Amino acid sequence: MSDLQKSNSNLQAVGCVEIDDLSIRFASPQGREVVAVETTDLRLEPGSFTALIGPSGCGKSTILNAIAGFVSPSSGSICVDGKAVTGPDPEVGVVFQQYALFPWFTAIGNVKFALKRFRLGREELQRQAHEALKEVGLGDRASAYPGQLSGGMKQRVALARTFASKPKVLLMDEPFGALDAQTRISMHELLLRIWDAHRTTVLFVTHDVDEALLLSDRVFVMSEGPGRIIDSFEVQSDRPRVVDQVDEHFVANRNRITKLLRQSHADSI
Amino acid sequence: MNSVKKIGKVLLSLSGVVAIWWLFALSDAVNPQLFPTPLAVWEAALELHQEGLLYSDLNVSLERAAIGFFTGSLLGIVIGLLTAQTRFFRFALNPFLTLLRPIPAIALVPVAIVWFGIGEPSKYFVISYTVFLAVWLNTHHGMEHIATTYLRAARSLGASRTREFFEVVIPAAAPHIVAGLRMGAALAFLALVAAELTGSSSGIGFRLQEARQFIRTDRMFVGLIELGILGALLDFIFVTMSRKIVHWEHL
Repeated sequence: MSDLQKSNSNLQAVGCVEIDDLSIRFASPQGREVVAVETTDLRLEPGSFTALIGPSGCGKSTILNAIAGFVSPSSGSICVDGKAVTGPDPEVGVVFQQYALFPWFTAIGNVKFALKRFRLGREELQRQAHEALKEVGLGDRASAYPGQLSGGMKQRVALARTFASKPKVLLMDEPFGALDAQTRISMHELLLRIWDAHRTTVLFVTHDVDEALLLSDRVFVMSEGPGRIIDSFEVQSDRPRVVDQVDEHFVANRNRITKLLRQSHADSI
Repeated sequence: MNSVKKIGKVLLSLSGVVAIWWLFALSDAVNPQLFPTPLAVWEAALELHQEGLLYSDLNVSLERAAIGFFTGSLLGIVIGLLTAQTRFFRFALNPFLTLLRPIPAIALVPVAIVWFGIGEPSKYFVISYTVFLAVWLNTHHGMEHIATTYLRAARSLGASRTREFFEVVIPAAAPHIVAGLRMGAALAFLALVAAELTGSSSGIGFRLQEARQFIRTDRMFVGLIELGILGALLDFIFVTMSRKIVHWEHL
């Protein structure tokens, strides 16, 4: 852990997520019981960046939805800073794969939606919303509607909106999955820059191995059917990390994850 | 320039239709008594105008359609909100409303006359009933099928239930509600004519029925053309308005 990180986590040890013995079961449309997530323990250190990687349908989004308060655990507990999660809470922000911007509001209107909970004055609301858009490089598109923006721009507005509500924990559900490779690289840089400035605890769900290793301090690997965590490790590679200049840790980690995913896939078919 | 061009195209297309109509009416294929020429229809319109009936019929019919439309759509939106948002109203009303839906407005006219007489209330009843069902169905459907991610996003951004309702649920359902109103407006005209054809003494529908008794097809055509123009105009107004109201749908 760097000195900066250390001082930050001492300064504001908030955004700690603790998951104990979590399991989540659903009833399938045929009435059968489906185990989406099998007994899982997981801890997100305050201010850390954690990736949760696994194949599609392995239950990684379900874990994220449970931390967000969108689905209830069947057993076990989820606590954010010692408080049990009972429903959606602005302390826990979510960035969705499909952006979930409100198309009837402009870019700045979407950010203001998040800021309204602070009951600011008109001018302060406008100022902070504009500031948030400037941080993601969209200060000049404030009055554009989501329908007028590209996918990358939409996700930047969504980032600005979520950070504007000042969450202690940020959950990201394959946020860049729908973007092309170049846009994704610049989104990674942007996300890390904002994360560095805010030091929110981030849980980043993805099925992209490189993405997980480029962004995170710690990686959890999941397997499917039923979803469970099969491995977790620290990512030692120095930041900033660039995808075309990876070090030996990166290569070793990539091989490790890929092997795990391949094995668990082979087991499941 | 563009809109002038568009109007020009429409006029050109319509004059083509009128020309063919005219040729057809003058040919020996039809009896001119039963199939009038455009000129005869124009003269009938002038005659109705001179008798003071053209304007007064239009006025009466439009007023009926407007009152029925506003009553029906207001009820449709309110009940639609209730059935979509509260389990009790959904339980109490949805099966009944689903049974009402297939009953055409015209089947209701005899009942309306017995209940309300041949005065205005029976027309308002038939029209608002028809409009209500269309608007209710669309409102209910629109509010029920709001994308979960919108609601999840709103809640995790700390929106209260009130803010969620006004800033997310209503705008998300707006395209459906507006589509329901547009459909309601078209149905208001259908119901209007159904109500006026029997048991009334004024209005475009009544004038059509009256012309039948004197085999005045030229007067009938005046009524039909009036209904066509009114309906098309109204739809145009609704499309223009909905583009403004749900502008984000047209980006």
